[in-house]
Amino acid sequence: MRDLSSCSVAEIRAGIATGEFSAREVAQAAFDAIAQREPQVHAFLEQTPELAFQAADAVDAARAAGGVLGPLAGVPMAFKDNMNLQGTHTTCASRMLESYVSPYTATCVAKSLEAGALPLGKLNMDEFAFGSSTETSVFGPTHNPWDLTRVPGGSSGGSAAAVAAGMATVTLGSDTGGSIRQPASFCGVVGMKPSYGVVSRFGVVAFGSSLDQVGPLGKTVADVAATLDVIAGIDPRDCTSQNLSAGPDGKPAAFSQALEQDVAGMRIGVVPAFIKAKGVEPEVVAALDGALAKLEGLGAQLVEIELPHVAAAMAAYYVIGPCEAFSNLSCFDSIRYGYRHEGARDMGEQYERSRAHGFGMETARRIMLGSYLLSSGVYDAYYYPAQQVRTLIIQDYAQAFAQVDALVTLVSPRAAFRFGEISDPTAMHLSDMFTVSTNIAGNGALSLPVGLGADSGLPVGVQIIGPQFRDGEILRVAAALERCYDFNRLAPLARGGEW
Amino acid sequence: MYLSEKDVRDIAAYTRIGLPDEEVAAVTVDLNNIIEGLKPITEFDLQGVEPTFHPLAGLVNVMRDDVAKPGLSQEEALANAAAHKNGQFLIPPILAGGGE
Repeated sequence: MRDLSSCSVAEIRAGIATGEFSAREVAQAAFDAIAQREPQVHAFLEQTPELAFQAADAVDAARAAGGVLGPLAGVPMAFKDNMNLQGTHTTCASRMLESYVSPYTATCVAKSLEAGALPLGKLNMDEFAFGSSTETSVFGPTHNPWDLTRVPGGSSGGSAAAVAAGMATVTLGSDTGGSIRQPASFCGVVGMKPSYGVVSRFGVVAFGSSLDQVGPLGKTVADVAATLDVIAGIDPRDCTSQNLSAGPDGKPAAFSQALEQDVAGMRIGVVPAFIKAKGVEPEVVAALDGALAKLEGLGAQLVEIELPHVAAAMAAYYVIGPCEAFSNLSCFDSIRYGYRHEGARDMGEQYERSRAHGFGMETARRIMLGSYLLSSGVYDAYYYPAQQVRTLIIQDYAQAFAQVDALVTLVSPRAAFRFGEISDPTAMHLSDMFTVSTNIAGNGALSLPVGLGADSGLPVGVQIIGPQFRDGEILRVAAALERCYDFNRLAPLARGGEW
Repeated sequence: MYLSEKDVRDIAAYTRIGLPDEEVAAVTVDLNNIIEGLKPITEFDLQGVEPTFHPLAGLVNVMRDDVAKPGLSQEEALANAAAHKNGQFLIPPILAGGGE
């Protein structure tokens, strides 16, 4: 049997359709890979072999009966542990939800399963998605499959590492300030945050409600596009989900279709201010320059773009994010669900002890920060201006996209760092400096690996940003650029032979 | 310095996080550092700029038809509660010293 670790969504689906292998064999191969690599990587918080083999048997039965196979038929898939899947734990990598069992399934997960995906389990993350390294997971960090002494990025670190280690073909993550794109870059995989509203957040534990978006991670742009085709769309249970423009047949145009177009004649924006920012490593600039040269070689025209207010995006993000988190995390009251401190004398003591023990320090810091920033007087100094800055950032992007079709820039100022290397929370927050502005403005962006850094030897990604709701343009640029690189997305520990 | 240790204790009380005494000093330093990093927000000329509270600025209330739909059963809704009794969530006294 061939090495399924390196197979794409299309190859798995075709292999099952032609009878080259069964979905059950794919599921078995995935759990064999997990058994071999997970002890080193620790990407999973829960494995669900029963659910995966059930789904595999359903796919194999459908094929045997001559039925239609779903677009993700037989694809081994796993989900960030802030996404509900009925009957599994959804912990958000927090003691607060350690014993929580999902009574229902998130829309993005349900759509994946309806499309035939095999649910392997739930993936590690920073606690409640607050972090950039998975070091705040109370269940221990995930290790970067490219170098086990380094972080996989975060907060969707488990989602990126599982793909890079060949343990899942596709995963879902969530991105509030870069939490899909930065780990994708650190682990050398493709990760996309679609425009706000493209994917329903119903059943995904909320962090920053005006910023959060769900998106796929995979080895290739085609895998990410195929998954986005499945999970996108309006959902009556998330009022921010959007009805995307319908094609002539009344169905939304498939994101995958964008991959076939070339980029000749496209105008690509470059942002010199990002490259000159403090703390940016030369090797990530070199990787970006290489990618831009390739795009030019493909006939795209490079245009320098100024985003004058994006300098304030970090500050706006660290105002808006904590304020929304403070509000969202008030639901953890130790009564209806979540950790409860036993033996409290009264309700007040139960609240305080349960939340003190249930939340880790980064989570507690963000809740307290949000509470402070929304307090009387302080609101006018930070929260309201942050929302005014959001207007200016949206205008910056609108002006940029009047001149160009997409922006191509940095994902992160550097490649994956070592565990414990960044202990100061303010320094850790800078990890998101190039990604937060698209969450604030609501447009989509993707991280594409473009090889290994000249100095670190670790994967480096570039970020492709598109206009709001024109996510196909992002995928089009990403696919064209991807074709210029011969880069193995599987980390060395996952290579070599059959599963 | 934006926040004193007393401010941090007050915020912890308000957010119902029982911050242990030995952590107050470190959290005060961290929060002050983070707030210092938010300074750029206060330095822009924002005169006359309208705020945008949401990336879907044009979104108005989204309503559905007022028709009852099935939800979680009582049993399912109580399944994750640390304590329940007679089909209801069980909590300690609201005021100290009372009964159940």
